[in-house]
Amino acid sequence: MSKEDPVTAEVRRETGSGTDLWSVIISPSIWALHFLVCYVSAAIYCQKLGRDAPLSDIRLLVIAATILALAGILWSSIRLWRVHDRSLTDDDFEYEHNTPEERHRFLSHVALMLCVLSAVAVIYVTIPMLYLESCR
Amino acid sequence: MTDKRAETAQLAKVWDNPRGWRALSDVNNSIVGLWYFAAAFAFMLFGGALALIIRMQLFVPDSTLVTSEFYSQAFTLHGTVMMFLFAVPIFEAVAILILPGMLGARDLPFPRLSAFGFWCYLIGGVFVCGSIFFNAAPDAGWFMYPPLSTEQSGIGADIWLLGLSFIEVASIAAAVELIVGVLKCRAPGMHINLTPLYGWYVLVVGGMILFAFPPLIAGDILFELERLLDWPFFDVTRGGDPILWQHLFWIFGHPEVYIIFLPAIALLAMIVPTFAQREITGYSWIVLSALGTGFLSFGLWVHHMFTTGLPSVSLGFFSAASEAVAIPTGIQIFAFIATVMLGSVVRSVPMLFCLGALAVFIIGGLTGVMVAVAPFDFQVHDTYFIVAHLHYTLIGGMLFPVMAGICYYYPLIMGKNLSRAYGIWSFWLMLVGFNMAFLPMHLTGMLGMPRRVFTYGADRGWTELNMISTVGAFIFAAGFLLLVWDCVRPKGHQPQVPRNMWNAGTLEWAASFGNTWGMRSIPEVNSRYPLWDDKDFLRKIDEGEGLLADAKEGRRETLVTSVLDAQPIQVLRVGTPSWLPMIAAAGLGGVFIFMTFKWWLLMGLGAVVFLGAVLRWLWTGTAEIPEKKTKDIGGGKRLPLYVSGYKSTGWWAMFITMTGDLTAFLALLFGYFFFWTIHPDFPPPGMFGPGWFWPAIAGVLILLAWALTLGARLVNSGGQPVLARLLLVLGALAALGGGLALMAGPWTTGLDPTAHAYPAIVWALVIWILAHLATGMLMQGYGFARLLYGKTTPTHDADLWNITLFWHFAAFSGVLTAVVIGGFPYLT
Repeated sequence: MSKEDPVTAEVRRETGSGTDLWSVIISPSIWALHFLVCYVSAAIYCQKLGRDAPLSDIRLLVIAATILALAGILWSSIRLWRVHDRSLTDDDFEYEHNTPEERHRFLSHVALMLCVLSAVAVIYVTIPMLYLESCR
Repeated sequence: MTDKRAETAQLAKVWDNPRGWRALSDVNNSIVGLWYFAAAFAFMLFGGALALIIRMQLFVPDSTLVTSEFYSQAFTLHGTVMMFLFAVPIFEAVAILILPGMLGARDLPFPRLSAFGFWCYLIGGVFVCGSIFFNAAPDAGWFMYPPLSTEQSGIGADIWLLGLSFIEVASIAAAVELIVGVLKCRAPGMHINLTPLYGWYVLVVGGMILFAFPPLIAGDILFELERLLDWPFFDVTRGGDPILWQHLFWIFGHPEVYIIFLPAIALLAMIVPTFAQREITGYSWIVLSALGTGFLSFGLWVHHMFTTGLPSVSLGFFSAASEAVAIPTGIQIFAFIATVMLGSVVRSVPMLFCLGALAVFIIGGLTGVMVAVAPFDFQVHDTYFIVAHLHYTLIGGMLFPVMAGICYYYPLIMGKNLSRAYGIWSFWLMLVGFNMAFLPMHLTGMLGMPRRVFTYGADRGWTELNMISTVGAFIFAAGFLLLVWDCVRPKGHQPQVPRNMWNAGTLEWAASFGNTWGMRSIPEVNSRYPLWDDKDFLRKIDEGEGLLADAKEGRRETLVTSVLDAQPIQVLRVGTPSWLPMIAAAGLGGVFIFMTFKWWLLMGLGAVVFLGAVLRWLWTGTAEIPEKKTKDIGGGKRLPLYVSGYKSTGWWAMFITMTGDLTAFLALLFGYFFFWTIHPDFPPPGMFGPGWFWPAIAGVLILLAWALTLGARLVNSGGQPVLARLLLVLGALAALGGGLALMAGPWTTGLDPTAHAYPAIVWALVIWILAHLATGMLMQGYGFARLLYGKTTPTHDADLWNITLFWHFAAFSGVLTAVVIGGFPYLT
């Protein structure tokens, strides 16, 4: 293998692995899965046990799913933070340069903010389960 | 210089539009986009006329202007036309028209597919709209709730179902085209962070179409099976449930609102920076909010079903998600407002419409947050409050931005300018008329007036409010017609507008008016607003210093680049004018239309025409082996002319189509499990089918067919095309066996699909898989023939890659079906 010059090596280090379009949609996909698990499990539970059934059993499941989902989003955020946090070009939030590195930081920023949005949405969706008592 | 002049002449010749009656065979994006646009507007005017009839009827209490029957047809068709024939297609029209220029492509990757989509849309649309002149229009509301629509409607419900299924084909075709376009056809150097925001929105919306439209197609299939063959999916007396339709419809219906809204707001993202004369504020925030909205919009559908008696915890989930979607929606609005505030705004008609759009949409968004709260929705459900809310969101979120887009892009497309005075008049008439028509409806709804009633008593206290609404509607219509007149009035005496007359910064304005090849040469892009940032940009394009400046081989070509960094990877030869897309659309239209009238023979004929045209189109127009391996594109670069597998646009198109197909399958499977949840005994007592034996055999044979197809591709690329042919034949036999075995399960156990929803859904799944196996066999046969005639070789195997990809999906669905229908009854 021929030796790379230091600049190419640096760019490759910055951009070789990390954020692509798939990792941008990880956190919203986690939200979608969490949403489906909550809705489907509660719907089946209430349909099979009748409208008077208390929600206490299913509540544990939903809370567990929420913790899992938030942990997944947190993991994704930490990964993205590392990429997002360093820059060779400049340190602004414009991401307007035509280098692979800027593209990389741009996608990481988008993904990171989507993590925040997804976490908020996951928490929102969990709230009804915390205060409702029965399937009514 | 002569060289350059010869190059220009050659480009013009290669990209020349066909003339005379052959003009109808055109496929170029600039022409098809215009047709699409004109058709969408024609349908819009039709839907608008229906709306005015509705408003006239409601002008006074106890009105007898139209009958109740006609009124039902009018409001159903008004909703259907506006949603399916205007709002969604106008997005496709605008995208087909301007997206290639924005990305620096000469055309979209599949121009013939665009043309096919357009003809499907036109035929289906005329069929659906025409029905009202025969008093046969659909009359059960634009969401066609059973049992009203299944039990009472005449042929109207079938026209709605089949006509719209056909139009959904056009939407999915457009989604395929636009997703591949944005991902693979950007100008070199246009990294994903430099892509115009419009491209981002189109990408998000294309993805949403793949997950939103297929559930409706699945629902349509169930619905039509009930109407046509009496399979009781939605009939409670035989184990069905109308709520299933509501789920399938709104899983489509809610994301659809955002499918309409996002591409329109994307126009704002292009227009606002131009007139603020500065780059957009918060580019990355807008991208993330588009993505976030795209996802969250799928968690909202039950908010249309708050009053169906679902458990309150289900309502809670959807209410919470409905509130959450306001966050990303708000972010984009704030980004636009910030851009306006930070820039120095140039006063212009497009900008007026943009600001009007923001104002109106924000009101619609706020009432949306109100109705997302379930208890409030209980109060106003199915009243005029909802009518007001949805018109504020759609007209603020879609119509006004589209109007802004028309005023903005008209000079680019037509080379002439619109009248400023007409534009200002039109805007104020529309804004005032709209608010006069729809603001009072909030009150009318709160006072209890239900939507869709054809008249009301004078004692109700709704009279004055309705009168104001009607007057407003006519003012609104006048403003709209004024703009339409401005667009179509002859402008022969007017001078042609200068290039880039608004001093915009994005690439589509680099095109000079009057040619169909887009740009003289494809530039290297280094920023989001190249026309602002590089003063030498236009000269470089015009003097042919960019890439692909010639068309020596006499072929229409565009560049394919990599997804993230837009590195050039291929020269793609795109489709030329052809009658085949139109013939194929006519054939498919025949299938759907004749099915409505149960004219089976003609329907079969339509199917034959469709299949014949598609096969000929594929055989003569796709995966052609080029005369040389690579082409010099200028700038010292040589690119391949043929690629296969996941590097090729065709593979991506197949992948995207099959993702949509898989979604439809999963929606059917959802139906199966839905019936399980609502029945205490599942399968119902006395029904034993389909047993485990035949489904197991079917699963094994389908897997075998898949493995043989994959094997054919592998041995072919290993240099053994003859063995590959043998494997394809064996694969087709295995597929045939798999299909027969799958059918044998419910057949031998005597499952009668008209008896109960359980056998009906089992049969529906089986039929779905049979259709896919038959398509798969056709593809295997096609691959066999391509190998036989040397059109597929060990080094040129794009066809086999795509066939194998189809089989990955088909086998997955087939095996899953076998496992579910064979195995699940034993678990319960």
